[in-house]
Amino acid sequence: MAPDPGGGALQNKLADGSLCCMGNQEGRRSQLLRGVLDLCLLAVMGDGSAYGYEMTKRLRARGLSIVGEGSIYPLLGRLERDGLVETRRAASNGGPPRKYYSLSPEGERALEAGVKEWQVTRDAVDGALGLVKTEVVL
Amino acid sequence: MSEFVEECRREWRRLGVPDAVANEMAADLTADLEEAEAEGGSPEDVLGNSAFDPRRFASAWAVARGVTGPPVPDRPRMWRPPVAIALAVLLAMVTVGAGLVLLVGYRGHSFAVAVHQAVASPGSIRLFAPGPGRIAVPGPPFAATQITGVGFRPLALMLLIIGIVGLGVLALLYWSLRSGHRRNRGDGGRQTASWS
Repeated sequence: MAPDPGGGALQNKLADGSLCCMGNQEGRRSQLLRGVLDLCLLAVMGDGSAYGYEMTKRLRARGLSIVGEGSIYPLLGRLERDGLVETRRAASNGGPPRKYYSLSPEGERALEAGVKEWQVTRDAVDGALGLVKTEVVL
Repeated sequence: MSEFVEECRREWRRLGVPDAVANEMAADLTADLEEAEAEGGSPEDVLGNSAFDPRRFASAWAVARGVTGPPVPDRPRMWRPPVAIALAVLLAMVTVGAGLVLLVGYRGHSFAVAVHQAVASPGSIRLFAPGPGRIAVPGPPFAATQITGVGFRPLALMLLIIGIVGLGVLALLYWSLRSGHRRNRGDGGRQTASWS
């Protein structure tokens, strides 16, 4: 039986590292986050209502730093526009009034559905990539 | 930091964001940036790489909130309102005119048939119009046949078809452009909202 040329090419690319050149790692990470950042924001709102920078800090505390990525404000604007979050303006620890975001009932449903969808996708990708032995550098 | 917010304000003003909304966004942004600075952080901690492109950031935020639309590409020159309206009026006039000619021609045809029948009857000088009553037509009866001329009908029919089809095409193009414009305004936020 002839060797699989496609598989050989993949192994070669993995060996010499050229697979990474299909797109730089930061770009890939950004692309991956793009599809789930709204879920991450909804998830941190599950800890209680929060203003913009507070959510950034919550994301960072969970290991998701936005440094090098974009800001969350446009995404918060879209979530508000889509009715997935509710907003109120209130003072923040003696500071200026802030806009606080919290999950709406529709947002809770969207979060639940989105997490399930993410888990299915993650498992499928793990199935495809899990057998590839490589060092993961974060 | 304030320079960043000022740059955002200029962009929001340029995009026509209402002052109340711009003030609210500027206040939230200022408060977050000041908090980050007080904690020893940088604008990047709040804004990510958007800290280096205030105009793009401000535009993306405003679009995501639905307080402005993305830039709409210029319409083709022929679709500038005065030209389009003039074309529609011209087509409408052609359609109505051709329709009238056909209508009169149809009645005239019946009229002409009546003329021929009247002329064919020896000694008769009376003509019968399609409706009730009788009409006496001065002059030679064959003049009516020429006026209601059969030669006008194909031309009028062609103009009527051109007018109707033209108006239909014009209406389709108008609604297509209009719905495209709405789609651009409606979806702009979704396309740019994730990261900016």
